[in-house]
Amino acid sequence: MSEIKTIALLGQPNSGKSTFFNNLTGLHQRVGNWPGKTVEQAEGEFVFDETTYKVIDLPGSYGLSANSEEEVVTRDYIQSGKADLVCILVDASQLERSLYMLADFVGIRMPVMLVLNMMDVAEAAGKKIDVAAIEKRLGVPVLGFSAAETERYPEFFKKMVSAIKTPVCLDSGSLREELVSGGELGEKTDDIISRIEAALGDFEYGVCERIWIAEKLLEKDKLICGVVRESLPFARKNAIDAILDSEEGRDGGILTGEAKYRWVSKIVRESATPKSIENVFSKWDRIATHHIKGKFLAFGIMVVSLIACMILAFPGMGIGFGMQPVLQSLVERAGNALGVWPVVISFINLVLVGGTCITICMTSFIFAIIFVFRILEEIGYMARFSYAFDNWLSRLGLQGKAIMPLFSGIGCTAGAVCGTRVLDTRGQRLLALVLLWAIPCGSKVAVVLFLASTFFGSAAPLFGIGYVALIFASFYLSSRLFGKKLVPQNERVGMIMELPPYHKPHWKMIAAMVGRSTWGIFKKALKMILMVAALFWALSYAGDGNVENTLLYKIGNAIEPVTMFFGMRWELFVSYLGGMFSKEASLGIMSTLFNHTGEAFSLVTRVAASENLGEALASTISKPEALAFLFASMFNVPCVLAMGTTYREAGSFKWLATIMGYYLALSLGLAFIGYHIGLLIF
Amino acid sequence: MKNAEFVDRLSLTEMGENRCGTVAQIEGDSRFISRIVSIGLTPGSAFTLLKNDKRSPVLVFCRDTVIAVNHKESSQIFVKVES
Repeated sequence: MSEIKTIALLGQPNSGKSTFFNNLTGLHQRVGNWPGKTVEQAEGEFVFDETTYKVIDLPGSYGLSANSEEEVVTRDYIQSGKADLVCILVDASQLERSLYMLADFVGIRMPVMLVLNMMDVAEAAGKKIDVAAIEKRLGVPVLGFSAAETERYPEFFKKMVSAIKTPVCLDSGSLREELVSGGELGEKTDDIISRIEAALGDFEYGVCERIWIAEKLLEKDKLICGVVRESLPFARKNAIDAILDSEEGRDGGILTGEAKYRWVSKIVRESATPKSIENVFSKWDRIATHHIKGKFLAFGIMVVSLIACMILAFPGMGIGFGMQPVLQSLVERAGNALGVWPVVISFINLVLVGGTCITICMTSFIFAIIFVFRILEEIGYMARFSYAFDNWLSRLGLQGKAIMPLFSGIGCTAGAVCGTRVLDTRGQRLLALVLLWAIPCGSKVAVVLFLASTFFGSAAPLFGIGYVALIFASFYLSSRLFGKKLVPQNERVGMIMELPPYHKPHWKMIAAMVGRSTWGIFKKALKMILMVAALFWALSYAGDGNVENTLLYKIGNAIEPVTMFFGMRWELFVSYLGGMFSKEASLGIMSTLFNHTGEAFSLVTRVAASENLGEALASTISKPEALAFLFASMFNVPCVLAMGTTYREAGSFKWLATIMGYYLALSLGLAFIGYHIGLLIF
Repeated sequence: MKNAEFVDRLSLTEMGENRCGTVAQIEGDSRFISRIVSIGLTPGSAFTLLKNDKRSPVLVFCRDTVIAVNHKESSQIFVKVES
């Protein structure tokens, strides 16, 4: 396998590109970011006929303009000429609109193959498409396809291999004719295209032909305008500026857009049944897009989804929690019978068995969330969420559909983090991740409520209300601090998006896709949890069972002067740190430290607070300290798995560290304030 | 494409629901133009207005799909309404 070929996937949102990418590459994919950008780079590989194919999933956009970072990344990659083949995906059921991408590609000298995806949907809607006729007209390979049907991939491979063997580029002649004729605008365009071409002379830019440059100049494309300004002599530059400033030049974007659609409709008219799909704006959609009913419907669907997630996660949770005591007692008995050192038994039980079981539990919820989200997206409802909540969330700098991952954060932060993938730009995803960490998962809520009722008894509900208020305040703070950088003001444009038609979900494909990504997450999570568990175990193991002989005790005592600054004695601070591992661990540690039970810290064991923990806490800890600890717990970083998935989604350690640092500062800052206010009150 | 050419200049937001029309003119900066063009609305495109409600984006059915356009920017799209 010496040869490596590179295929770039290009397509509009909803063209089925991610399904295609996932089915092509399976488990062999990496997600990172494009160098120096906050844009996700998804890359994968597959092997066919002893050749390795590298697949680059370019960020989805409607055309090749350079308005957002995503589009710039797409353009840069295409212009770099690194791909052996650019595979353009279009939605066959909306041929005319989605072929715009192809029209925008005309004039770029790169080998192209066109994939008419969702042929099954188009056929079901009564559209007949003559693939051969389109192929003949365009002169490049064209394939009628359905990316969700795995049995159709051999057809793709065959076409792809020949497209790479004999590379063909799109011919720009016919589009140029449309641009020159000006269509309905006719003479008003005053042959502006030819005039710009004349002014450009023999100027070409990498793989971009002169006609493409002329189009982009008319569209006032910042990058191309910059390139032309830098490269052309003064007189010719001025000539171009004069043309663009003229009356017909000012409407350049409309002129080129019209010409491209005219070019597209000629292709479509010749090769597809002219009858367009009946407008089916159903009663259901009337409700889904209503400004009040739509929100109620969306909330209803969110609640149902969350319940569905819990049901789906239940078997995995049951296995994880059920296995733990069985395995642990088995290990203990076997170990004792064989005379294995207690330290080994402790390690196996607390780190290996405990860590594996907790990973199974947590991953099962992640699986459920990815599954449910994927279905909602596949059906087409996710876009309706966007529509319904756009007004609210755009204030924070987010898209409306961010409501889904944020809401599911109540169930499980780690899972919700994976759900942020529904957002379109990496900046949006990162901002949603920042907000998401403030939303308490079920376990965190339980811990906070336990602490509040232990220390403040009947005043606990007040803390609940205060907590909610603080969360919303933190949203405001986070969007202020991070919003500007992650979602720049000039990219915050009003909603212009497509509400895709509803589709039947392809269950088999979704299950395979979700299974694959869950397995990937499980493997990574397991590694990480075992590592962290081993670390905590080493810190907290005492051969004689005496807490005072643990490393943690020594470290804790040494740093107490610092932690008291935030109002936390070392035991509480260590519990706070334990809360970063899992929320239950925080209670487990307190149980050990305050009841002096003498057992090693049960970090990975799901130890519910022992019965007398409340009493022990209430009698030893003062109210101001309690307040400090409560605040610290509210905004403590989520569990280790949530950190792991955040790292995976953010694609950079720097961002994980930034978000962690932010929440450490926030929680300790609040603890400090709470403690000092508490000292004044109590 | 001067404004004066339209005697009865009607923006998308002034149009009644369930009416059919054609896009006549789109105003705005090049960024807006390129976004709206690439999603499928160009002068001459026929559409049906599905939803026009001040509190949410305008919905039109055009080129086989439902497109949502923010209310403010919809007022920069001028249309000819079929009678």
